[in-house]
Amino acid sequence: MVGSALLRDRARIRAGLPAAVFALVAVAALGFQLHLPRTLPSDADYRAAAALLTAQQAPGDVVLLHPWWTERARLFLPASIPVVGYLGDTGDDLIAHPRIWVLANERLPFVPGADFRARFLPDRTPLGGSQELGPLTLTPYRNGRARTVRFSAVEALGQAEVSIEQAGSAAVPCPRAGDGFACRAGRAEPAWHEVLYQPVRCLFLLPPGGPARIAVRFPEVPAGTLLLEAGITWEHAWKRERSDVQLTVAGPAGNLHLRIPQGHEGFVSGDAPQPAPGPVTLTVQADDPHEREVCVRLRVLGDPP
Amino acid sequence: MSRAPDRTDRRIALGLGLVTFVVLWATEKPVGFVRDESVYFAAAEQFARWWALLFHQPSVALSDRVITQAFDFNHEHPMLMKSAFGLSNALFAQTLHWVRPATGFRLPAFAVAASIPAILHLWGSTLWGRRAGLFAALSFFVVPRHFFHAHLACFDMPVAAMWFLVVYLFWRAEEDLRLAPWTGVAFGLALATKHNAFFLPVVLAPFGVIAAWRAAGPEARKLLLRMGQVALATGVYAALLLAVLGREGVVRSWALLSPQTFGVVALVTALSAIAWQIARTDRAAFLPLAPLVGMGLLGPTIFYVHWPWLWYHPVDRLAWYFDFHATHVHYAWTYFAQVLRAPPFPLAYVFVITALTLPVSLLVPMALGLARTWLRNLGDLFPALARRFGQGGSTEWLLGVNALFSILLISHPDVPHFGGVKHWLPSMPFVALLGAREVDRAMAALPRTLGIAERRVNALAVGLGALLLLPGLTATAHVHPYGTSAYGELAGGIPGAASLGLQRQYWSNNVTGVLPWINANAHPGERVWLHEVNGLSFRDYQRNGMLRADVVPAGGPEDADLAAVQYHQEFREQEVLVWQAFGTAVPLTGLYLDETPQVIVYRRPSRR
Repeated sequence: MVGSALLRDRARIRAGLPAAVFALVAVAALGFQLHLPRTLPSDADYRAAAALLTAQQAPGDVVLLHPWWTERARLFLPASIPVVGYLGDTGDDLIAHPRIWVLANERLPFVPGADFRARFLPDRTPLGGSQELGPLTLTPYRNGRARTVRFSAVEALGQAEVSIEQAGSAAVPCPRAGDGFACRAGRAEPAWHEVLYQPVRCLFLLPPGGPARIAVRFPEVPAGTLLLEAGITWEHAWKRERSDVQLTVAGPAGNLHLRIPQGHEGFVSGDAPQPAPGPVTLTVQADDPHEREVCVRLRVLGDPP
Repeated sequence: MSRAPDRTDRRIALGLGLVTFVVLWATEKPVGFVRDESVYFAAAEQFARWWALLFHQPSVALSDRVITQAFDFNHEHPMLMKSAFGLSNALFAQTLHWVRPATGFRLPAFAVAASIPAILHLWGSTLWGRRAGLFAALSFFVVPRHFFHAHLACFDMPVAAMWFLVVYLFWRAEEDLRLAPWTGVAFGLALATKHNAFFLPVVLAPFGVIAAWRAAGPEARKLLLRMGQVALATGVYAALLLAVLGREGVVRSWALLSPQTFGVVALVTALSAIAWQIARTDRAAFLPLAPLVGMGLLGPTIFYVHWPWLWYHPVDRLAWYFDFHATHVHYAWTYFAQVLRAPPFPLAYVFVITALTLPVSLLVPMALGLARTWLRNLGDLFPALARRFGQGGSTEWLLGVNALFSILLISHPDVPHFGGVKHWLPSMPFVALLGAREVDRAMAALPRTLGIAERRVNALAVGLGALLLLPGLTATAHVHPYGTSAYGELAGGIPGAASLGLQRQYWSNNVTGVLPWINANAHPGERVWLHEVNGLSFRDYQRNGMLRADVVPAGGPEDADLAAVQYHQEFREQEVLVWQAFGTAVPLTGLYLDETPQVIVYRRPSRR
């Protein structure tokens, strides 16, 4: 009797299970929808964050958004502080910035916390506690990866000379055009571009094609560590069957070579010592210049600030 | 069981269709013009002018030169829906002035989309009862992306509706010979809607042939075998042509009098002749074949007749049409933080995106329904499964195959994967139907589970049904009119999808979110760059009063004073170029859905 009653109960429960599961899923879905608005910051939350940043900002500060896509913050944050938010930004060394303000909203669904811990946190030390502003938190970090930037090619382009060089021929100087230089074939200018989703203000170079190279000569570059980073801009990068790009930095201590292989997305980078101040020449060459639009960051780094 | 619905269900279906039509119309105004839609608007207007010319000067209108002039624009797609859009606009917007131009174009799309809930109810109520039919009908359009696509004067929802109609009529015609020609007509209309429909014979032919084989006597079976031999011979002939000429050669050398045309004509003639013999010798075997015969004869005829562009150059233009779709370009698409640009695409993509965009309270019954159907279908082949889950039978096979066909077709790693869910929409009415069966089963078990009387179960069933539909309804209302950005609870909604690195939006219509700001803040005659919005859409926003008439379209940030950039992972450079051109990275406003940037507006500082 008891056994058959149990069996009956089990059968009843089993028969009712789909309805119960469906109902639970629906309730959970409604719960999610009710909860989601509470994870979203208000305009006032952002304004409070902006006020804090305005009051406490120092030269070299930067704001990093977490998760990276929460760029509504740009509407509110002071224009005097750069705001970094792009897919992959947790791996950005932010070399020029000794202090990083992380504006985070960890209440949002699927915030990539593990990625943040693994790629951002190493070498970064919190400077005091977090300020809570609604669902937002604002936390300053000392950037252990920061270095003094003694020279930046994009800032120093005004003092540079640009020419087209080819073995066996005299260099052909390129005339100035606006902030940059326009060559008969090729171009050099400071510009904002994207390299693998990262917005970068860089030295934008169009190589002339064939064996000829575009050469940018900086007359006086301080001593330190030369850091060369170069990438193909935007969607041109992923395409195969395009030419490799060869980059060379010739300085007092010798040459630094880099190659951007076809199909490579993102920056390639290399460094070399620059033991003494002196002239440095950057050259860029691609056999076929089609879609070889190169974004170059050439910097000389000193000690940590 | 008769496959014909009763009168009450026919009335309910009609009511569902009417309500759907009215709701779509009532919610249409804020829906932006997707990139393709304005092209179809322009094409539709052009075709409507040709129809007017046909009425006034038929001999001129019917000349090869005029037809080519009128129909060359946007000949990537056939004419049925575009003609309907154009005639509707000409009547309701241009002549009667009852509606704005965009609504005039879109009304036929609402009507066709409205047929989906109606057919869902007809089919569901016949198979599993009124409760299942109603739930299936109501569940289809509380999916935000379905609701969005139903508003557009495009072809994705119409072809889903046509596909569903053809399969429904095919199923009915297997019982009722009178519906066989109507299946053929519906197939012709489906072909005239979008190229997906060319796969329908592939899906339906095995059902007709197998059913005919089962019903056939010895003589008819011989004829059926002969049909198979003809099909096989045609396959070998086609393979030979491909081997000798190559794919491009086959397309290039296809003329009216060519081996290719001979192959097609021989196939159709031979199959028709054999089908005629079967009809004369074995009526029972012919009945399930009849809808296929209707499709084979009426489908291509309607397709050809409806499209004047084919009239004078049927072979080469048709060859171009097939070639265009067989070699369609791949647009970039973001999937788990990877920008997919070229094949091979991830095999699981379609399943994953379907799961992440459906409201989870509908996804669960739909997934269960699909699983149950396939377990039962496999039960026809494996007795162990049959003992546990039962057997499928021809109807369940038909539903199961159609529920998966478009999904699997787009899952092929070489098939273009852009366009959100729109390319596998023809699967979704079938998935909704199977989901409704699961919900109905759950409802049917309630009296036994709760120990209540059968008569009280209706109230509970309504409660459970409403509970399951509510998350989809609220999500649809919340995201409307930005349906291409919608994600379900499994993805964590729109912000969860952004963190997962999924495609933020597509097709440019979300720009409507910032048009009111531009209208209020643009200087007179200001140059405005609406990123991703093509020139025709810009014109349509102005023509429909959604964008001030005095602002001027700019070709890019360099010649613009205002820029509205659409967030696409693959277009990040475009936003950065605005920073470069305007000298600022600080936006003025934007469309942010649940915090996610969709459209970001910048202004050149000198004009502030």
